[in-house]
Amino acid sequence: MTELRRIFNYFTNNLDRISGYTLEHLILIVIAIALSVGLWVSLGILLRNNKKTADSVLGLGSFIMSVPSVAIYGILISIPGLGLSRQSAVIALVLYSMLPILRNVYVSLNEVDKSILEAARGMGMSERQILRKVQLPLALPVILAGVRVATVMMVGIATLAVYIGERNLGVLIEQGLKRSRSDMIIVGALLVTVFVLVIDFGIGWLEKTVVPKGIQSDEESKTKAKAGGEI
Amino acid sequence: MIKIEEVTKKYPGMVRPAVDKLSLNIEEGEICVFVGPSGCGKTTTLKMINLIIEPSGGKIFVNGENVLEQNPNELRKKIGYVIQKTGLFPHYSVFDNIAIVPNLLGWEEERVEKRVVELLKMMNLDPDENRDKFPKALSGGQSQRVGVARAMAADPPVMLMDEPFGAVDPITRNQLQNEFLKLQQKVKKTICFVTHDIDEAIKMGDKIAILDQGKLVQFDTPENILFNPANEFVEEFVGSDRSLKVLNLLRVTTVIRKNIKRVKEKAGIDEINKYFSHPEKNRILIENDEKEVVGYLAKEEYHKISTAKGWNKAIRIFPTSLNNHNTLKDAMSDMLQHNIAALPVMDDDDKFMGIVSFADIRSYIGEAYEENETEKDQDENEVL
Repeated sequence: MTELRRIFNYFTNNLDRISGYTLEHLILIVIAIALSVGLWVSLGILLRNNKKTADSVLGLGSFIMSVPSVAIYGILISIPGLGLSRQSAVIALVLYSMLPILRNVYVSLNEVDKSILEAARGMGMSERQILRKVQLPLALPVILAGVRVATVMMVGIATLAVYIGERNLGVLIEQGLKRSRSDMIIVGALLVTVFVLVIDFGIGWLEKTVVPKGIQSDEESKTKAKAGGEI
Repeated sequence: MIKIEEVTKKYPGMVRPAVDKLSLNIEEGEICVFVGPSGCGKTTTLKMINLIIEPSGGKIFVNGENVLEQNPNELRKKIGYVIQKTGLFPHYSVFDNIAIVPNLLGWEEERVEKRVVELLKMMNLDPDENRDKFPKALSGGQSQRVGVARAMAADPPVMLMDEPFGAVDPITRNQLQNEFLKLQQKVKKTICFVTHDIDEAIKMGDKIAILDQGKLVQFDTPENILFNPANEFVEEFVGSDRSLKVLNLLRVTTVIRKNIKRVKEKAGIDEINKYFSHPEKNRILIENDEKEVVGYLAKEEYHKISTAKGWNKAIRIFPTSLNNHNTLKDAMSDMLQHNIAALPVMDDDDKFMGIVSFADIRSYIGEAYEENETEKDQDENEVL
């Protein structure tokens, strides 16, 4: 009980600091995810018809993912011009999101049913129109799933960016470890978890809103149909 | 309308070209069916017409214009394209799927709306019920109907159909084929149709092109393919039951006998006696005062009945009648079922047209084959 009270007390007494860290965390993630989606989705589109290049780029992505994040931060701050800055943290996160996003974009664009593409071509749609009106909408669920995985991962990895000067929720964990303050660690960890859940939920909602109705999973349409029937 | 000249498709690393110097001409308003075993080049040929596959050599003219000199995307908007798996966009509603080409062509909203509704009706799909459905909610037959509607959306004069009814069950296929033939009579498109099913080819085609190993083996009407196969390959491909297939192809009107002697029910016995005295006259039709055929009289039976009882007792009623759209197969089937050697044929207004008899069918088909046999013999003599 006393432990719980300690955690609660720490949380209420440091509300200002904690909300500041949360905001910093959020800003970092938003910047990183925006850049990642822009960069890796575009690259995936560019590489969609080029299996060889795509394979080697994806190989690089796997390699990056296998490098411990602390090491990546370390390498980045040693690069002149980056140093102990937000840029380094953002670049690290963007690099980590490469594999989940790029792979899903590449795979999903290539998995669109050949007969649909043939029909589109046969009706006189240009490659651009096919990409915009057929391939991307059909690939959207898988692309979003990749973004979801990447975002969840980023929230965790971002906590380690405190070692290169970020002041986010990671501070609570890092300081807690240094000062053997379990209440700090637990508050930090819980907040990161809540953060992940919120983002996960948010992207789930986005998926339902932007994915075309005709290709939303059957379960959803079934429940919708059921609801409609009952009304 | 579609002219294929010496078209060749060679894939790198392949010894034999997929399509080898193929030439043929498809007339306006005709359905030309490409048929052959898998790998014969029929689909490749079809896909070269709208440049989905680029020919390695030769020329293809659609409506007098060489397709190779046109922008492929502009060309394809003018050619309807139906494929076996339908290729409907799963994220588009039925309405949006059909509206794709009109929208690409920049039609006004009202015109698109009108056209889509018209097409749905044409395809026997209730517009209100189906327009907002997504493809996953459609049955196989419905999907294919939407696929055909989509290909016809911008009213292209030419349509390419790649095994359009290949993925549905036999009953639905038959239904779709019949509906499509009916529709074609109205719209008169020039159609290239690919199938591997010779029965479908015979049913759908005004002309049939039989391909084997990239070469055109025979290009002819279904009748000629059945009666006069160009070589053993065609004969084998068509099947040993080709004379039965002919029955399915020919209408009863091809062997109908129209001027058959008819007598009134109340006719005098002399008239009949006189007619039957001729050794080759064995049947006579009986009509009532309204000139409707009520039955027939057979010589043997007529002679068995004693004149005292009245010859009318020997009149036999036809158990059923045929419609002028029936095929010879329908006729044979009815004859076998009712154990009768001849049946009357009625026109659309249910008026008597004439008689189809088993003997006439037999001699018609027999003669057709005999003619071809003698032709072949003559050919052989010439060679010798």
